[in-house]
Amino acid sequence: MKHELELTVQAWLDGELPDHEARRMGELIAHDSEAAALAAELGCIRQAMFRQEAPVPLAESREFYWSKVQRQIQREATVRAPEGVPWYARLRRYMGPLVGAAALACLLVLAIVRNGSPAFDEISSTSDGMEAVTFHDQSAQMTVVWLQDSSAATDVQPVQKIIPHENESGTVIDLE
Amino acid sequence: MRSAARVLLSTFLLAVAAAASAADIKLEARLVWGTNDEKGGPNCKPVDADLAAKLHGMFKWKSYFEITNEVASIPLNKTRDLKMSEQCTIRIKNLGGSRVELSCIGEGKPVDQRVVTLTPPKWLVWGGNSKQDTAWFIGLRAKNAKPGDDIKVITKN
Repeated sequence: MKHELELTVQAWLDGELPDHEARRMGELIAHDSEAAALAAELGCIRQAMFRQEAPVPLAESREFYWSKVQRQIQREATVRAPEGVPWYARLRRYMGPLVGAAALACLLVLAIVRNGSPAFDEISSTSDGMEAVTFHDQSAQMTVVWLQDSSAATDVQPVQKIIPHENESGTVIDLE
Repeated sequence: MRSAARVLLSTFLLAVAAAASAADIKLEARLVWGTNDEKGGPNCKPVDADLAAKLHGMFKWKSYFEITNEVASIPLNKTRDLKMSEQCTIRIKNLGGSRVELSCIGEGKPVDQRVVTLTPPKWLVWGGNSKQDTAWFIGLRAKNAKPGDDIKVITKN
């Protein structure tokens, strides 16, 4: 027997066929012994299932029971909701702080570069007739530019410490 | 998104504050008189201990008296004149990045000019002999720049 015929007999037993098809199937079962045997067998099974299916008693009312089921479904839907958030929306949550931190890092780098000593750093010029001697004292964190007339260059030196070199015009002496 | 906006706003405010502080430079200038006398004149007061110790470590004079103390805040690319005495004026131009162009003007004539990087607590001091075995000093230091940098000077005549 074809599988389709088996399904049609099952539908006929369940009363799911339209009237004209139900009538045609009824005639077929009346004349075809194989179809009649299948219908009898399925009918027995159907009756047996109805008899064996025990009723399930509920402790609460029917409305309350189904409201519990509904709440459970809603709860699970809420928990699963983040999975439905698109990837770019989740990325945006982290992009804001990341962009801020990157901007801050750039500003710090720029500030360091701006405040760094330039390579060409310092230049100076002393007027004619004057002489300048520069002393660096790293321990005192002081730089001294001693100015004197060129004509008085041989005058007594104001510096107490021993100067390693005779001062010449524009000499830089490091007292470190 | 709200936290991201907060971070961006903070960054912006920080940048504005950093730019403003980087633009201006605050300088302190002192005219000091070095002498072997224990007492200075009526308008003299002893230099503070920090600068006095530095001067004592390098120079021979027994006493150092402060004649003038000027503080100036100079905007970026602006020039200020600080009159230290009747004879002496300091002209300062803020070049940015703690760099300044300095001119020491004596009796109306520029005596010495230089471009230096001034960062606290370093001092740049001009000095010279004066009458009766005394000396004058003009000390300059920045008060708002980043600490730890050296004053670098290259001289030429």
